[in-house]
Amino acid sequence: MSEADVVKAIKANHPDLVVSAEVLRSKRISAVVKREGFIEVAKTLRDDLGFKYPVSGGAIDFPKEEKMQMMYYLMKPDSKFMLIYKVDLPRDDLKLPSLTQVWEAMSFHEREAHEMFGIEFEGHNNMIPLLLPPDWRGGHPLRKDFKEEGSEE
Amino acid sequence: MQEETKEIRRNFESVPGSGVVYNVVDYLLGWARKYSIWPIHFVTGCCSPEFMQCSGSEYDMERLGVLPFASVRQCDCIMVVGVVSRKMAIRVKYLYEQMGEPKYVVAVGACPTGKGPFYDSYAAIAIDEYVPVDVYIPGCPPRPEAIIQGMMLLQDKIKKEKRLGVKG
Amino acid sequence: MTEPVIVPDIMRMSWGPQHPMSGQTRILLDIDGEKVHRIIADLGFTHRGIEKILENRTFLQGIIPVERMVMADTPNIGLGYVTAIEEALGIEVPERANWIRSMICEMARINSHLYAFGLQAESTGYFPAVFLWTTVDRTIILRLFEELTGARWSLNFFMPGGVHKDLPKGFEEKVIEGVEYLRRRFEEYWVAMVENATFELRCDNVGVLKPEDAIRLGATGPVLRGSGIPIDVRKDEPYAAYGDLDFEVITESACDSMARTKVRYREIGQSLNIMEQVANEIPSGPIRTNVPLFARAKAAEVLSRVESSRGELGVHLFTDGGMNPYRVKIHSPTLRNMYVFERLAELDEILVADIPVLINSIDPWYLDSDR
Repeated sequence: MSEADVVKAIKANHPDLVVSAEVLRSKRISAVVKREGFIEVAKTLRDDLGFKYPVSGGAIDFPKEEKMQMMYYLMKPDSKFMLIYKVDLPRDDLKLPSLTQVWEAMSFHEREAHEMFGIEFEGHNNMIPLLLPPDWRGGHPLRKDFKEEGSEE
Repeated sequence: MQEETKEIRRNFESVPGSGVVYNVVDYLLGWARKYSIWPIHFVTGCCSPEFMQCSGSEYDMERLGVLPFASVRQCDCIMVVGVVSRKMAIRVKYLYEQMGEPKYVVAVGACPTGKGPFYDSYAAIAIDEYVPVDVYIPGCPPRPEAIIQGMMLLQDKIKKEKRLGVKG
Repeated sequence: MTEPVIVPDIMRMSWGPQHPMSGQTRILLDIDGEKVHRIIADLGFTHRGIEKILENRTFLQGIIPVERMVMADTPNIGLGYVTAIEEALGIEVPERANWIRSMICEMARINSHLYAFGLQAESTGYFPAVFLWTTVDRTIILRLFEELTGARWSLNFFMPGGVHKDLPKGFEEKVIEGVEYLRRRFEEYWVAMVENATFELRCDNVGVLKPEDAIRLGATGPVLRGSGIPIDVRKDEPYAAYGDLDFEVITESACDSMARTKVRYREIGQSLNIMEQVANEIPSGPIRTNVPLFARAKAAEVLSRVESSRGELGVHLFTDGGMNPYRVKIHSPTLRNMYVFERLAELDEILVADIPVLINSIDPWYLDSDR
């Protein structure tokens, strides 16, 4: 399967849940999904399309558009394509079902996104801080409006 | 904390010539201590390969008596090698309190001195907010010759300490 | 007469940051006698917030904190960041610069694998012999680095557009001399470590990671290739000069700690071959295309991947038209392998005495997972 075939298959399986899917360059595919169908499309990716190899996960903050975007990186081991799987979250409602029910290796990356951005993952079985010290006085460091530790309430 | 301003009561102070005895004992104790500084085997950050290279064959630190040792209670130096974050600084302070007197702290690298290349980081700290430092060795990472010069400065400092000698 | 009953009882042991073998992390073990039931990795002791710092640096200034992620392997990490910047700014790199980059990256890979060997030997009790041998052998490479760039560990030699300086006169001959010396020492390491009966006893069948588990849990680098799966970014998406060079992807099928050590060992052999090829066949030409000091990139999103010695390192760079990046997300290989290490207690029977050997066969560098 080439990259264009994979993009077509993603769009054809769930036409109403996928916001956009495109080929960025050779061996890079990007797909943006709505929050409601997030887990369902993920299960299709793992079982039907062969994206079995989890790579990483992270988030990015867009304060001007009032949203944050959570990104997961997945790979297909046979043809070595990398898929960037994104979902948009409104900045005042940062909740997302946890992707550890589909790929369990996303556990550490979701813990880091929680403490750095404040996104809450429902259904994660071990949500404790990963990198910040245990006596951290509050604040989410990687947000764009982070001044210093303890400045938020 | 080493307080060198303590007044040490000495017996036989009025006996003429006792000052010489105290100075000789002082010199021997200083000689023994400075040639057997045992640091704790504890690296906190990225300068660690340079520290291990310094104990290797080309720049042998053990000929000065510096032997990294595993057990805390039998060491007399902490070498804070590399970046210190707050989670690690609590452990450094805990180890410092467990060592017996006399004890010394050497900050190796630009990062424990004043955060180094991470000067605007929210997580890195300078170690002299937590423990008192005796010698600072700058560099990113410092060359092994610089680390050896730093240990020799510490040896000079130990030699000049007054333990039993007559003040003044 | 009744027999004494031993009641199973779980004790939590904390193997903390001050320990000769643990590195800068705390590993919590739930043990019952000698058997390990659960492993919990407590990371974050060397967290510096590099991803936040990079938003306050220009593209050229950002190379300095990024390279300090793994001190033993700085060219590979720097190359990941620099290739992302070049793709975002749309710069072409000349051919000679690509060949020099490949050679320096392979020298750093040998440096890092020898360091891993030294730690593996220290954990099995060969500290005075093999660990100090590796410090001597690494001085060959460190002296070559010092002659070329002035620094021993953190080179900061790659810039967007090429490399900083050209090779000095006579450098290629010194590289070939170094390669021949290391090849002779190479055979001694095989006899001292891999074919050694004590080493085999401690490393065979310890920490078996089957191929489908390695893919499902996201292992990378020699941990993945030691389970027989041939994924290597240098062959899948050739960067620098790897498309023109002749080397193999090393895999082993035994899936245990000995297999991972053998993968690293044979990768050193492949790296020596690449160094020799570059020293003999490097083309001439310019070494750098000029890039303005305060370059601005248009709004773009770039993901670049390189193969560092511990696994695949990815840099996802977002730019927005300014002089600083908007967001840099770094994929760390050690963070992925530490998840595999945690799950090994459930996949295989591990005893407490196996833990130092196991963790050094995974070869973590905690400054990389904590960033």
